[in-house]
Amino acid sequence: MIPLQFITAFLMVFMGIYAFLYKRNLIKLILALNLIDAGIHLLLISLGYRLENGILPTAPIYTGYETLKGTPMVGPIPQALVLTSIVIGVCVLSLAMALTINAYRHYGTLDVNKLRRLRG
Amino acid sequence: MTLPFLIIIPLFGAFSMPIVSLLGKKIKEYWAVIVSGATLAVSAKIFYTVWKTNEIILYTLGSDSPIGKGVKFPIRIVWEVDLFGALLALTIAFVGFLAVIYSLGYMKHDTGLEKYYTLILILELGMLGIVITGDIFNFYVFLEIMSIASYALVAFRNDTWEGIEAGIKYMFVGSLASSFILLGIALLYGQYGTLTMSYLAIKIAENPTLVAKIALAFFIGGLLFKSGAVPVHMWLADAHPAAPSSISAMLSGLVIKAGGVYAVARIVFGIFNPGLHAYLRAFNAPAVNMDVIGWVIVFFACLTLLVGNAMAVVQTDMKRLFAFSSVGQIGYILLGIGIGTLAYGTKAGELALAGAIYHIVNHALIKALLFLVAGAVIHQVGTKNLNELSGLAKKMPLTTFSFVIGAAAIIGLPPLNGFASKWIIYESSAMYNPVLAAIAVVGTVFSLAAYTRVLFTFLGRESDMIKEAKEPEKSMIIPMLILVAVIIVMGLLPWQISDKIMVPTARMLEQLNGEYIMALLKFIGGA
Amino acid sequence: MKSDMGLIVKTMARATIPLIGIFGAYVVSHGHLTPGGGFQGGATIAGAGVLFIIAFGVGEAKKRINKSLYSALEGLGGLVFLGVAMLGLSVAFFYNTLWHNGPIFNGKPGTLLSAGYLPIMNLAVGLKVYTGLMSAVFAIALFRRWRK
Repeated sequence: MIPLQFITAFLMVFMGIYAFLYKRNLIKLILALNLIDAGIHLLLISLGYRLENGILPTAPIYTGYETLKGTPMVGPIPQALVLTSIVIGVCVLSLAMALTINAYRHYGTLDVNKLRRLRG
Repeated sequence: MTLPFLIIIPLFGAFSMPIVSLLGKKIKEYWAVIVSGATLAVSAKIFYTVWKTNEIILYTLGSDSPIGKGVKFPIRIVWEVDLFGALLALTIAFVGFLAVIYSLGYMKHDTGLEKYYTLILILELGMLGIVITGDIFNFYVFLEIMSIASYALVAFRNDTWEGIEAGIKYMFVGSLASSFILLGIALLYGQYGTLTMSYLAIKIAENPTLVAKIALAFFIGGLLFKSGAVPVHMWLADAHPAAPSSISAMLSGLVIKAGGVYAVARIVFGIFNPGLHAYLRAFNAPAVNMDVIGWVIVFFACLTLLVGNAMAVVQTDMKRLFAFSSVGQIGYILLGIGIGTLAYGTKAGELALAGAIYHIVNHALIKALLFLVAGAVIHQVGTKNLNELSGLAKKMPLTTFSFVIGAAAIIGLPPLNGFASKWIIYESSAMYNPVLAAIAVVGTVFSLAAYTRVLFTFLGRESDMIKEAKEPEKSMIIPMLILVAVIIVMGLLPWQISDKIMVPTARMLEQLNGEYIMALLKFIGGA
Repeated sequence: MKSDMGLIVKTMARATIPLIGIFGAYVVSHGHLTPGGGFQGGATIAGAGVLFIIAFGVGEAKKRINKSLYSALEGLGGLVFLGVAMLGLSVAFFYNTLWHNGPIFNGKPGTLLSAGYLPIMNLAVGLKVYTGLMSAVFAIALFRRWRK
């Protein structure tokens, strides 16, 4: 039985790829890229989640950890990976927005089909 | 230990660039030259060390051993440098250094130069990180650092529509490819619970599952996107001509290699080691069948080298012609890697890999030279349309001479360095399957046609556009002449370089005895 | 240039911007103890900056934001991060030498002054993220003026 969160993650990835292929608005394309990334992040985060004896896991670093001793901890590595990946996503997003604004200034449209002045 | 300085020096240069640029007008340019020169020195030292001792350097971040306390597996980020990585690091630092020097003259009239030099150092940093890392998520981080810097640099001249359009195309395709690679990493981590490449290799060989195969497919797909293989090469033909020429030299010479071809080779031979799986299959144990992936790479390689070189013939834009020729040359490199996977462990496989590695280095130098020539022409004449450039040979003799050397080398004429690497690739593919060799030769014929056309344009009758043209300034001429000298010197000693450097590199990449894995296992045994 | 936001928005922004800033500073400085850290805290503080730009307009922000100062501070944040990472270079890059036998930040785990280089790195990253995100957002906000 595949856990529900994995199915959701892959659905998000495929929705993102669908939007990437069939939408022609630059802003929607940026959203599609973010949707793909969000799906992968969900996949990674849910890899670190585990339920032991029906007790909910806690965050790996927490000031009051002493009182919670004995409860399981979620995997810290996927969280670090997702955090890094989110930072990268922010960089790509801001760069994409800047380029989109510049494209609107030069072309007066956000339709990606109109961005065809370069041959090929 | 000099290895961390390969990252520290460019990072320090990039971070200090906004502060340094406050000090004075010209200082930032000299600072960039100093920083990239120091990086070149460090990479030369590392290459010499690895080549001399013929051992893999394993460097752990944050501790002296990659193994965690009380556990028997690596938990820390490791950097693992074998000869292939060290050789590429040297090439990257060398071409990057020349590109920075060239920018002194070429970018003189642009504004926002401190951002330009910051980005060029970050681009260099990302590529150096890719070739030294031994951790797959660290690899992704460096890949993204490199990609983001190159998106920004392609669109650096944002007052022209050309740069913006190319930048947008490049960015969307590149981000999609990066997402595929991240998905592959997530799948591997979920299945095997580790991110260290050499430990992943052991885990995958012990228990190859469907998930590993899907992850491999995602990796190969994403990396073929990034290296500009044929069905998805269109971004390359737009992005490389639109960037400033010093950046085109780095993009075409280095980025598609470090972020594309190198990573394909590292993932195929480092993580999914074909030898390990062939060994397992002999005992009827489950194993990933690497022949399939070898044929996939060979198929795309043949397509790439035919289409890329053929498209180069019909271009009228000089930089676009060079960009399509880059696509074609990537085809040769992929062909070498594919045959190296298929004929793993035999003489042909080793030769093919050596040829691929040799061609990576040669093509980096030659294509950098050609784009620098194109940049000099654009800077002096103001056009890159081949129909308007006839008769340039009389006005810019040194530039034309550099172009002749570069074109002859990329076609593979004997006294130059392109000959040896192409010959090795033809020879090994003929040993494996003569049809592949025939396809490779057909690709070269197209390439010959394309470059001959440019050469005749340069030598032809003088047109109106170039009446005022003269040689560019020294800071642009010198990098071109250095590259010409290196190409000629490497061309004079082809077999010595092949025997002394390329074949050991191929052996180390092929890791017949699992050297890449053993370098890590040493620590586990000792812990 | 007049901002088109009304009195209510401006008053609320005046009241909440310091609170958001303080919360961000808390997230940065407790990064090694609670979930959060340099990036999250810096992004939170940058949120206050975005609120400022929206509420008071780009013209007002232009008077307050010195672009070259911001990029110099961003570089400084990066340099501090790199310098702290290099402190333990005798053992390895990124080796946490302060934690084991350093003069500062060597307290019991769970207290504020503990965890070696992590608090310094969080502060540096927080500075870098705040200045970097502010510069990016501000640059994008300025783009609105291309058509006079």
